[in-house]
Amino acid sequence: MASSGPHVQAKFFTKQPQFAVSEDVFSVPATVTTLELNDLINGLLNSADGDGESLRREFDFLVEGEFLRLPLNTHMQNKSLTAERVVSVEFLLRQPAPEPSTTIQQEDWISSVQGNRDSILSGSYDSTVQVWTRSGQSLVSGTGHTEPVKAVAWVKQETTGGQFLSASQDQLIVLWDWDREGGTAVPSLCCRGHARSVDCLATHPTADRFASGSWDKMIKLWSLGDAEEDEEEERLRGKKKAKQDQLGPTRTPLMTLQGHSDAVTSVAWVDDVTLCSASWDHTIRTWDAEAGVPKETLTGSKAFHSVSYSNLSYLLASGSSDRHVRLWDLRSQKGVLVESTLTAHQGWVSAVAWSPTNQYHLISASYDKTLKLWDTRSPRAPLYNMSGHREKLLCADWSTPDLLICGGAEKQLCTFSYSNLLTSMPDRQQGN
Amino acid sequence: MASKRKVGEAKLEKEELDLFVDAPPDDDDDDDGDDEDGDTSDSEESVYSGLEEEPSSEEEEEEDDNSSDSEDHGTEDTPNIPGPATDVTTGSAGTSSTERLDNRPPPDEYEFDSSDEEDIRNTVGNIPMEWYNDYPHIGYNLDGKKIMKPAKGDELDEFLNKMDNPDYWRTVKDKTTGEDVKLTDEELDIIQQIQSGKYPDKAYNPYEPYIDFFTHEKMIHPVTNRPRDKRSFIPSLVEKEKVSKLVHAIKMGWIKPRKARDDEPKYYDIWENDNQYTPDKRYQTHIPAPKLKLPGHEESYNPPPEYLPSEEEILAWNQADPEDRRQAFLSKKYDALRKVPAYAGFVKERFERCLDLYLCPRQRKMRANVTAEDLIPKLPKPRDLQPFPTTLSVVYEGHTDIVRCISVEPTGQWLVSGSDDETLRFWEVATGRCRKVLQLGGRVRSVAWCPNTAVCLVAAVVDNKVIIINPSLGDKLVYHSTDNLLNTYEAPESLETKLPVEWVAAEGKEHDTGIRLRIAHPKTIRQVTWHGKGDYFAVVMPDGGSMSVLIHQLTKRRSQNPFRKSKGLVQCVLFHPVRPFLFVATQRYVRVYNLLKQELTKKLMANCKWVSSMAVHPGGDNLIIGSYDSRLSWFDMDLSTKPYQTLRHHKRALRQVCYHKKYPLFASASDDGTVVICHGMVYSDLLQNPLIVPVKILRGHKVTKNLGALDCQFHPTQPWVFSCGADTTVRLYT
Repeated sequence: MASSGPHVQAKFFTKQPQFAVSEDVFSVPATVTTLELNDLINGLLNSADGDGESLRREFDFLVEGEFLRLPLNTHMQNKSLTAERVVSVEFLLRQPAPEPSTTIQQEDWISSVQGNRDSILSGSYDSTVQVWTRSGQSLVSGTGHTEPVKAVAWVKQETTGGQFLSASQDQLIVLWDWDREGGTAVPSLCCRGHARSVDCLATHPTADRFASGSWDKMIKLWSLGDAEEDEEEERLRGKKKAKQDQLGPTRTPLMTLQGHSDAVTSVAWVDDVTLCSASWDHTIRTWDAEAGVPKETLTGSKAFHSVSYSNLSYLLASGSSDRHVRLWDLRSQKGVLVESTLTAHQGWVSAVAWSPTNQYHLISASYDKTLKLWDTRSPRAPLYNMSGHREKLLCADWSTPDLLICGGAEKQLCTFSYSNLLTSMPDRQQGN
Repeated sequence: MASKRKVGEAKLEKEELDLFVDAPPDDDDDDDGDDEDGDTSDSEESVYSGLEEEPSSEEEEEEDDNSSDSEDHGTEDTPNIPGPATDVTTGSAGTSSTERLDNRPPPDEYEFDSSDEEDIRNTVGNIPMEWYNDYPHIGYNLDGKKIMKPAKGDELDEFLNKMDNPDYWRTVKDKTTGEDVKLTDEELDIIQQIQSGKYPDKAYNPYEPYIDFFTHEKMIHPVTNRPRDKRSFIPSLVEKEKVSKLVHAIKMGWIKPRKARDDEPKYYDIWENDNQYTPDKRYQTHIPAPKLKLPGHEESYNPPPEYLPSEEEILAWNQADPEDRRQAFLSKKYDALRKVPAYAGFVKERFERCLDLYLCPRQRKMRANVTAEDLIPKLPKPRDLQPFPTTLSVVYEGHTDIVRCISVEPTGQWLVSGSDDETLRFWEVATGRCRKVLQLGGRVRSVAWCPNTAVCLVAAVVDNKVIIINPSLGDKLVYHSTDNLLNTYEAPESLETKLPVEWVAAEGKEHDTGIRLRIAHPKTIRQVTWHGKGDYFAVVMPDGGSMSVLIHQLTKRRSQNPFRKSKGLVQCVLFHPVRPFLFVATQRYVRVYNLLKQELTKKLMANCKWVSSMAVHPGGDNLIIGSYDSRLSWFDMDLSTKPYQTLRHHKRALRQVCYHKKYPLFASASDDGTVVICHGMVYSDLLQNPLIVPVKILRGHKVTKNLGALDCQFHPTQPWVFSCGADTTVRLYT
């Protein structure tokens, strides 16, 4: 550590008990980078072990809640920290890079994707909705839509099959009953009500309802239960429209949420009663799904393409047409503010998804052909870029904790395996 | 002195005093006398004590010792005395003595029994005592007897005395009597006080508290309590008499008022008005001759090496014109001043200097104090005019030839583009996905999406046909009802087809692809444009002669020719967004017709050679025109028939101009491959002129076959712009 130039006093600590080091204060050069700090911590750990086995581990360093990416003095300047005090540096094992695991070739552009345990649901521009295993085997393909499928969502999955939803530009939302052994997917419900292309779906956490957003500026809430009156109504209609019967009995919406002045591009459940929606009218709105009234409006400056809510960090992430991923805090009382802006994309951010297990991690897919893994503590640079895609990405999903999925105009479904280091965090299963 | 020092070391604190008191023993007799005069006034010693002393045997020796010093005046003569301290003493003593002598009272003062009288032991008076150096006596006493000089020991005695006598340092010699006088403590105090610059009397306090004789405080009681005289308040009779006499004299005219003194000064300041004096104009604007530059290192015959020009500099100097040279000579190094040759330019430079000084007229240049920046009107910064499209976001790829025209669906979900590859493509705006391709069998020249959201129709121009297409995109209900609307048409019984226009409904396969109607025209069509309600549309056939503009009605499948004869080569037409006006652009003029009254309401001078395109502000009062001579003209139709502003942002011909429906933006596409976005704010206040600020140049289209961007359209709801070009792509900038 002997070098000329100013030094700063630094204290190292970690929340990972296996790497605990002494609380001594070190004097490190002000221009120190992560690389040298890594050497220091590794040296400390190895000397503490004393068994001569020099195992090199990669650490990341947190100063003032932000990852150290620049030289320490620059970082401290940005954080307006004084060099005269002892700097507390937290270090933690670096998140390993997600490894590409499977590439599933499809017939047409992939518009939407959602993973669930061992299977992946995808909607495609060839008007089909398909279920794949993780290794890339096709389990079932649902055909019935007449126009491109724009959104898919799991309702429930069992070992023998399950239920999933698909929304299409033909203005319909179809609930499919999937029989795994038989390899069939049968439309069991056909939800009619939207006047334009249905662009987004969100299943309620209890799986008895779901929300959909459409180009016609509406958000509709639908029931997934066996509503008898609906079927009776259907029976009354008789065989007026034989064609519709192919897609099962018709269901009408429970509720319509009206308020957006442009296309609704994304919906997400915040909690059991709160729904949040992003729109091209430059707003994100939250709704009380029980009463059907709008709660809050977050106004941005560009059209929003995607929104995602994390139960762990209580933050809302939005992807918009100005290349930024923005994080919003819905709980703050003094007007909702942009918590931070993650900027690295070169094109529209088409999809964002929070990690179900790590409160800091999220992914974003963009038209600049990259998928980025972000840590909210490092807003200037993403943790990892997953580039190599040949075409723009349209969708991304992180419903399964260890699987990142993205798809887009290159007609490939790409999956990446993600290893979560936060073992102390309880695993959360979503969807069921 | 050195030996004295050795002795006196024990009392170092008194050394200064020693130095001072050392002196008198070395002093000669004259000094002693002076000291006596100064010091003995307050002396306690008896006057006669000295007189009783007998002159010593060494008297003569002493006189010999002092003889060399005897020429100088006694009071000043202190040649043997070292150090400043003695100077001060003798000086002060001298002055005091002289004062005394000057003020010496006349001889009759002997009559008085004064204290001064007692001092007079020696009657010789105030004479230089060295006069007595050669005598054994020193003067005469009151009885007229000689005062003999006291016996003086030799050097050894002196030294022993110095060593042994503890009072030696305070012993001085009385000049008048020649005897040793031991200074008392009081005298020493006085000497010390004077030496340190204080009052001689130690007890005297110069800073005694000041006692006011009259207090400054206001007393309430009078100083005296004597009552006022009566006369002080009774008018004086004498004065009254005097006054009455004077009054009487004035009345009688005996006393005349004094003549007023004229205050006119006898002398006046001849330079009084000097400040107002305006000198000759020539002097007013006097410009002093320029000062000569002082010689520097360059002029030196042996300049520092950095002043010596290099080879290139010499070459450049030689090649430059004499006026352009920075200095008139080249610095050169000589090893001696005598080797410096005569300066060749000397005479010339002197001559020019002389011209400078007295011949050359000099002129003051009047310079307007205006910077170029001040002349440019203050425009807001583009950053403050957000939002406007800035970056390329989506590229719609699929066409294989020049894309000539684009049109956006009124809700902004779909985009249609027509190309030279004889296809029409429908794109999903958000993703860039091509949803439909329609083969039309000819180059698509113009395409327009019907602005009415209740129907879903696209009009496309292929050669001499207008094709009406139902793309079956968007709301199912709408496009089904559109088909129904078209199917409800029933041909009227009396067909009055004056015009050579043929309406053909598509059937069979063609119908399945989406084509609904074909309207065949006699000539090649250049443009199709919808009326805002979506029922009427106009087509432009530049070669059509009197039929160059036709208006078709979709529901009745009827065509009209609004003009009997053509006023020129029609370039494009446009419906007014709200009022029944039709804009017709010919090569140089834009005519505005009222369709209801069927008359010409306005004729705008385009001020350019060839109009290419035209767009109307959604408010309807402003118009922009793009021309092939790379100009964009903004017309405020309430203001004038001439352009309000002309913008020349493009390097080549403009192909299309367009307004945004919601945002204050307009765009122009040009053959140089760029799309220029301008902020064009129109105020509802009629007095305020539109604000036009160019905000962004969007590059991206490659120039192929001398064609760049051919069309541009704004998104209906977002601040986004679409452009298409000869590089077969359609681009979306957001």
